[in-house]
Amino acid sequence: MTAAATVERAATPSDRTGRMRKTKRRLFLAFLLVAALVWVVPLVWMFSLSLTPNEILQRDTTNLLPQDPTLENFSSVFSVGLTPRWFLNSVIVTTITTVFTLILSAMAGYAFARIRFAGKRILFPLVLAGLMVPKEAMFVPLFLMFAQFDQHNTYYALALPRIAAPLGVFIMTQFFAAIPDELEEAATVDGAGRWRTFFSVMLPMAAPALTALAIFTFVLTWNDYLWPLVSATQREMFTITTGLASLQGNFAQATELGALMARGVIASLPLLILFVVFQRQLIRGISIGSGGK
Amino acid sequence: MTTATRAQPKVSWRGTKLNRSTGAGWSFLAPFLIVYVVFLLFPVIQAVIMGFFDWDFLDISDRSFIGLENYGRMFWGSEMTWDIQQLWQWRLVGLALIPVVWWAANRRSLTRGSAVGLTILLVLLFGVALGVHPGEGGRWYDSQFWGSFGNTVLFVVMSTPLIVVVGLAMAVALNRPGRLVGLLRTMFFAPYVLSVAVLTLIWAFLLNPSQGLVASLWESIGLEPINWLNSTTWAMPAIVATTLWWTVGFNLVLFLAGLQDIDRSQYEAAELDGAGAWAQFRYITVPGLRRTILLVVTLQIIASFQIFGQVFIMTRGGPNGATRVAIQHIYESGFRDFELGYASAMSLFLFVVMVGISFLQFRFFNPEESA
Repeated sequence: MTAAATVERAATPSDRTGRMRKTKRRLFLAFLLVAALVWVVPLVWMFSLSLTPNEILQRDTTNLLPQDPTLENFSSVFSVGLTPRWFLNSVIVTTITTVFTLILSAMAGYAFARIRFAGKRILFPLVLAGLMVPKEAMFVPLFLMFAQFDQHNTYYALALPRIAAPLGVFIMTQFFAAIPDELEEAATVDGAGRWRTFFSVMLPMAAPALTALAIFTFVLTWNDYLWPLVSATQREMFTITTGLASLQGNFAQATELGALMARGVIASLPLLILFVVFQRQLIRGISIGSGGK
Repeated sequence: MTTATRAQPKVSWRGTKLNRSTGAGWSFLAPFLIVYVVFLLFPVIQAVIMGFFDWDFLDISDRSFIGLENYGRMFWGSEMTWDIQQLWQWRLVGLALIPVVWWAANRRSLTRGSAVGLTILLVLLFGVALGVHPGEGGRWYDSQFWGSFGNTVLFVVMSTPLIVVVGLAMAVALNRPGRLVGLLRTMFFAPYVLSVAVLTLIWAFLLNPSQGLVASLWESIGLEPINWLNSTTWAMPAIVATTLWWTVGFNLVLFLAGLQDIDRSQYEAAELDGAGAWAQFRYITVPGLRRTILLVVTLQIIASFQIFGQVFIMTRGGPNGATRVAIQHIYESGFRDFELGYASAMSLFLFVVMVGISFLQFRFFNPEESA
């Protein structure tokens, strides 16, 4: 049958256009592949420089594959400077922020989506209005608030303003609103109260949305720059992002280039790993997070 | 219905149930609401209040009410005059939008009322307001405010169309099944997960005139080396290119999600009719993506208005203030010059402009309303 089909197809005039189209598609894919490779060159370059000894970097910095690869740049990260401390700060702040964002957003989203209560009609638009407030533009009054309570250079100051994100509430409201009533009613009939229903029925069901929100929050918090720059002014309290930024601005110290790039790699590794593992969830987080879906 | 009137106790039972669920609703909401009010709503109100004060950073209890003085200092100068030639290139570009508005109105993408409103807005902004400037012997009270705000606008104008169009092109090219294509999407998206400090670490060195990859490529094709980040002409385009590489993956994802919603059979039908790739893009893809395009453009503009990190780390606003942006000016007014009140007033202005622009976009270009 395949033979017959081939013979028949060979006879039709559309075969040539079909083959042409196939070649065209392959060429297009090849073009895309080249473009994608060029696109990641800067990343590859950072990895390459971080693995190259500093002596070689003083002569030549244009190799995409490390020459005479070494880990000395990485070992210097642990012996010189505050990078490990900054890394730890980032881990702590990002974890606190993500955990609390998830809990608070899920609870608020559940309330908005599944509970009828007085005041909801006013509160929901009020929370949505918060989506309009650009975080970057409101750092001055926030700074003043934490200064009044003398709370700068603390983990609270770094984490708390991030938790007030209405985006998570919006995402969780959308999610809980889509769950059919029957599931919840079944739990209520079994005698479970609101809180038990929430924790043992609704939350587990929300796992996909929570994962997406968690990844999204993690990435944004880890990469936050302006607020940590304003709030954490003692070097010990820098996050990895503000810390790494503080090391730059002067490439004259190019003797340290390899070590600097190694710090860049360390700052981005958690996210790159997270991205590779949870790529689908992150992308989902973006498309539901922006109200696209 | 009869039961409702008869069963008086049931109504009151319902009432208590509502009360009980109101209690539950509020208790589920309370933790978020407290954080939200304290760290998001209150700061906005606080910014409004602070804008009326001369508020010192070093001693935050030291403040004095100065009315609208902060705003006068931002917007105004001495010996102000109006001149038809002032910034005429920019104003011509702005006024050239008026025919575009009316073209859209004729195509019924806009209502006539909206077109009139937009025209008035454009005339007031570009025809009148931009002609105001300090005359001979006068100067702006804050010579850096309009400059830095202008740089932010310049960045928005340069980066938004570029990042949106490139993101759309990537999405259309990568909107096909297959493992390889999946891998390519990952590669294009990957820079998005880097932090701004890693981005600048890579790109400041990439653009380094003596050691960077761009320079060595540039010279290998026989061109004069350029010190990109130190040139008043090239610094801003370099920042735009850096930002494109960093954030286009975000738009790519949104566009890919939007493309999923377009019925594939439309393309098949068009193909049978002999429609070429461009015609398919123009008449199926673009109309199908209208909602997504509006969303992406709005998000992109909002994000671009908040540009700060790339510039602050890579150029510190230089050379000669060519890349100094609004947030940097706010940051430095507050934390270098210690004027929290003035910094708040500027934050508020930026906030109002951004809200205004998103409002305009959703008011006038919402495809559901105009369709």
